[in-house]
Amino acid sequence: MNETAQHKSLCWTPDQLPPNVRLGANSVITGHYLPGDHPFKRFRSRLDPAIVIGEGCTLNGLYFNMGEEARIEIGNYCHFTEIFLLCELELRVGNYVVIGWHTTVTDADFHPVSPDDRIVDAIACSPLANGQDRRPFARKPVIIEDNVWVGANATILKGVRIGEGAFVEPGSVVVRDVPPRTRVLGNPAQVIGDV
Amino acid sequence: MNPAAWSRKLPQDWYPGTIPSNVSVCETAYLGTSYSFHEYRSGASIGLRLGRGASLDKTVLDVGSNGQVSVGEFAFVSSARIICDSEVEIGDYALIGWNVVIMDSYRVPIDVVMRRHELERSSLHPQRRLEDAGEPRPVQIGRNVWIGFEACILPGVIIGEGAVVGARSVVTENVPPFTVIAGNPARIVRVLDR
Repeated sequence: MNETAQHKSLCWTPDQLPPNVRLGANSVITGHYLPGDHPFKRFRSRLDPAIVIGEGCTLNGLYFNMGEEARIEIGNYCHFTEIFLLCELELRVGNYVVIGWHTTVTDADFHPVSPDDRIVDAIACSPLANGQDRRPFARKPVIIEDNVWVGANATILKGVRIGEGAFVEPGSVVVRDVPPRTRVLGNPAQVIGDV
Repeated sequence: MNPAAWSRKLPQDWYPGTIPSNVSVCETAYLGTSYSFHEYRSGASIGLRLGRGASLDKTVLDVGSNGQVSVGEFAFVSSARIICDSEVEIGDYALIGWNVVIMDSYRVPIDVVMRRHELERSSLHPQRRLEDAGEPRPVQIGRNVWIGFEACILPGVIIGEGAVVGARSVVTENVPPFTVIAGNPARIVRVLDR
């Protein structure tokens, strides 16, 4: 099997990207191998630029699920493997950040917490919406600083800042800020040591 | 590994790949798709052994150049992800749920300077892989172990015979035989009758 050819054929070249996406030199975005999925299927941002990606990044099989006012910045030499980025406001990722397989990062709740508001929101999301507005929901930027490592199957929730050089163990659910150069694990993720 | 060695095709495979020559599949075992090997690059004499009556379907074998994975008799591995740079051994009759991550390596140097260097190097590599950069510790999943979906088994872990790992658990330490463990991090919640 010519693996290189297969890998390359799934790459998104700059001319295939939405016009408000900036991809740095020697950075690649690949689609999922599994049929029916592609990175921009749920990309709805109207900002320009909506996504800015630095140099030397390897972004394999990721999803950009972005609302109309969402903005994502990714630094240089990041390496992501089949991850889900759910963004309604802002996600900032530094340089040399590694994020493992099947991890989800989200900066929003996507629905209101109040039960009455949620009924209104459910109707507004339905095929019977008839143009009703959706209800507001919580959104807070997520910041992942330089040199952070995030393992597979992790979840990073809204408003979190992951400090420089931190290590997020596989499967962690990060609901609070992670101090720089610490190692966190668990649900909710807690500091278990230093890096 | 010699690319010419990727010769065998599977019947009715939806993925356009082939099976590497250092994969030993018992003729009674079930191997669903060559998609399992799109991240496989083991140069070991046997990189994957699939025992009698074992099944492995959409599991991705992210196996480095020295990695060796063995799946015992009648073991059933659904769509897991196995990250292996040394040895991952799955015992007879083991049941592994979907999206389970079994890893013997963090794949990156812990040291930040070395990690940055590795990321720069991999960005110039045609396959853009992080390669053999961690310090692997073998993982053993015992006979008759049952692992629930989306659990993570971290490097160095040994799971004893007959243990049950709850869904979405994260297993950081060895698991005694015939126990039920659950949680993140996983703890013993029950001892099984034998």
